[in-house]
Amino acid sequence: MPFDASRRVFLRGAGLAAVGVGMAPSSLLVRTALAASGGPKVLVKVFLRGGADGLNLCVPYGDSDYYNLRGGIAIPRPGQGGGAINLDGYFGMHPELLPLEPLFRDGRLAFVHAVGNPAVSRSHFDAQDFQESGTPGNKQTPTGWLDRAISEIPGREVTQAVSFSSQLVRSLLGPEPVLVAQSLSSFDLRARNWRAEAETLLTAMYQADPTQVGTNGLETFEAINTLLRAPTPPPANGASYPAGAAGNALRQAAGLVKNGVGTRCVYVNVGGGFDTHSNQLQNNVNDYRPLGQALAAFATDLGGLLDDVVVLVTTEFGRTAAVNGAAGTDHGTGYAMLALGGRVRGGRVLGRWPGLSRSQLFESRDLAATTDFRDVFQEVARAQFGISASLFPGYTPGAGVGVV
Amino acid sequence: MAVPQTLGPRVAQHLLNRAGYGPRPGQIAAVLDQGLTEWIEEQLAPGADPELDTRLRGFTTLGYSTSQVLSLYNADNRTIGVILDEFASAKVVRAAHARNQLQEVLVDFWFNHFNVFVQDGFDRYSISSYERDAVRPNVLGRFRDLLGAVTLHPAMLYYLDNYLNTAPRTQGGRAVGGINENHGRELLELHTVGVDAGYTQADVIEASRCLTGHGIDNVGASGNYQYRPGNHDDGSKQVFGLSIGSGGGQGDVQRLLDHLAAHPATALFVSRKLAQRFVSDDPSEAFVTRLADVFLRTAGDLREVTKALFGSAEFWAEAFTSGKPKTGFEYVVSTLRAAGAELSNTRMSRTAISDAGMPLYSCNPPTGYSNRGADWLNPSAQLYRMNFALDLAAGMVAGAQVDIRGLIRNGGGDPDSPSSAAEAINRVVFGRTLSAATLGAAGRVSTSGGPPVSARVAGLLLASPEMQVR
Repeated sequence: MPFDASRRVFLRGAGLAAVGVGMAPSSLLVRTALAASGGPKVLVKVFLRGGADGLNLCVPYGDSDYYNLRGGIAIPRPGQGGGAINLDGYFGMHPELLPLEPLFRDGRLAFVHAVGNPAVSRSHFDAQDFQESGTPGNKQTPTGWLDRAISEIPGREVTQAVSFSSQLVRSLLGPEPVLVAQSLSSFDLRARNWRAEAETLLTAMYQADPTQVGTNGLETFEAINTLLRAPTPPPANGASYPAGAAGNALRQAAGLVKNGVGTRCVYVNVGGGFDTHSNQLQNNVNDYRPLGQALAAFATDLGGLLDDVVVLVTTEFGRTAAVNGAAGTDHGTGYAMLALGGRVRGGRVLGRWPGLSRSQLFESRDLAATTDFRDVFQEVARAQFGISASLFPGYTPGAGVGVV
Repeated sequence: MAVPQTLGPRVAQHLLNRAGYGPRPGQIAAVLDQGLTEWIEEQLAPGADPELDTRLRGFTTLGYSTSQVLSLYNADNRTIGVILDEFASAKVVRAAHARNQLQEVLVDFWFNHFNVFVQDGFDRYSISSYERDAVRPNVLGRFRDLLGAVTLHPAMLYYLDNYLNTAPRTQGGRAVGGINENHGRELLELHTVGVDAGYTQADVIEASRCLTGHGIDNVGASGNYQYRPGNHDDGSKQVFGLSIGSGGGQGDVQRLLDHLAAHPATALFVSRKLAQRFVSDDPSEAFVTRLADVFLRTAGDLREVTKALFGSAEFWAEAFTSGKPKTGFEYVVSTLRAAGAELSNTRMSRTAISDAGMPLYSCNPPTGYSNRGADWLNPSAQLYRMNFALDLAAGMVAGAQVDIRGLIRNGGGDPDSPSSAAEAINRVVFGRTLSAATLGAAGRVSTSGGPPVSARVAGLLLASPEMQVR
């Protein structure tokens, strides 16, 4: 796909235009070279499960159709009570993301709007499957896109990929080992006065089991021992994480980045009330507040190490452009991603805005998707893992949207 | 019913693992004495269980209606904690102690198929009624009856926002209300025909129109089902091959449920899910089709479909495979059963179930928890499982009383001899199915220091690879 700046970035505020103009292929190369001298680069994928509404996350307050469609659940314009935080004169972020404003202003936070999946599905399950396998329209793909990505990185340590979730997530499904955990604290066998013996004997049992159960048992002991050797350091720089899934996981993710156990990929699963069929305004506050606080704390905690990290926040689909009968929105199409990192080319809202007039909406109801999610994933995997070959069977990703 | 003629402990263990939550000490031998066919017939026609009734007697709130729960809550908001505690405790006690094991597995399966989430507002007060009144009475009845009961239960109407799903109207010149697609979509996708059946976005909207007006009288006080004719879209509808004329009112949804419950896609979808729960993560299409034929031939008689599962060669062949990984709930409950635990309090057991990734009644999305065993294998859950086993055998799970020494003696073993103790547990609990490596490792525990030999041997065997699968 040819490089086309107008397709990749839209600039509305004159003051910010300079930042955009500074983005050129040559500066991209410089940044990549600089990063090569740092520590191992890490990709953190945060999944907001349930179909997070992009229109109230990254609010197109400059598009008058937004207010006509959203009625009572619209986020007011910047400067009004409960209004959006102005980003570029056209878009604003949800007011609960206030802790992220400095990161946007200093260019470490970007949004990508109107991202989507070309095989549109309004089923949570299918849309999640398509996105996490990276194969829209094909539910038979045996591996997840992040499993394929980490298989390109040398090493098979179980802590190379860590998923903060209650189960192995679809993105990491496949032959690569993954440490799935909700908490890494007290990650040890509870066998007072006979711990070593218990570990030896259990290891013998699991070594003899040739099935996935045996493999999983052995990976468990490997993870236990790795984490015992390198305990997770506490938050630094006064970072304060909120309670909840995002805060707990990002606090531990920062610990993994700092303690150098070779972690290259972290997955953060965030449940909650993103499936806002009703009472959306309150649900958004409940979910976006801890999300904003957690991401801001993560950046504070890591300090300069944030240069080695890209956090990509995504969801499975967006929601209907219009409010429904219950002060909520139903399953839709295009959504917004958020990218955070020292080398993210932030301070901008990326992507191509399709508009919200009836003829511009997908099937007259949803924000259309103008960026294939695979282009963004590949772009981030290229930056963090140096992977240039397509991670997506049957698809050749384009140049991306310039997020890193 | 076709049951293999060559019976043995492995087959009995398999049956108890799949149709129930695993054998209690001595149960493999008891079921072999009774006869597997007889045991299955008994399970398919659950009788009285006075012993379980006695165990549940202390849970005085289990029978409360949603209105009673709400009025108690409104008088004192601390009561809801007690009510939900009893509700979740009863699930663990039933799974661990019920004679009618299959019934408990089916209640779990169908609840999960028609999942609702306990933390979702009004569902805190109505979830107990949902399981008791809508799910439990119908798990061995007709699918259509089950579908009807769950679809119009206030807990489901709330969880999937149907209580807010109304025909668009104007009030004082302003548009109020409107279609909410949540329930209509999940009715098709998750509850009946399945996402691959070929329905369209238009079908989702038409199904949602059928559901308009079905709601709850008062979510804060009485919490009963209520149909409001003024909120119903009474125009004609076309849903996935079904035409409904205008003026159908409250009957529209019944017509729709009749259509969906009898649809071949529903038969396949439900059969595949049952096969996945009881037989294997990836059941063959031929097997699923045979089950679906039973479903269609019997007009969705779930007793007949369930019976066909246990009469299949595919079910029995699984006794001789490496097994299906247990879910977190299955692991904790089967471990309690294997250890012969007597439950007086389930709090620590429920914590272990949560730690294993499966907090009770707390699956937020309507998809429910995965029925694929492989989805439950991960290092964190594995660690929590092993620690639960070690704690339980050492008598450190509060409220779960075990007598490991007695268990070993009943198996003819010496509780102070590692290899003898391991052999006895293998005999009594595992039907002699443990591998040489597992038995050998447990037989090598040292005889000095740390917890007693019997607790260490039992802990290791309950944490073994064999215990992770069913």
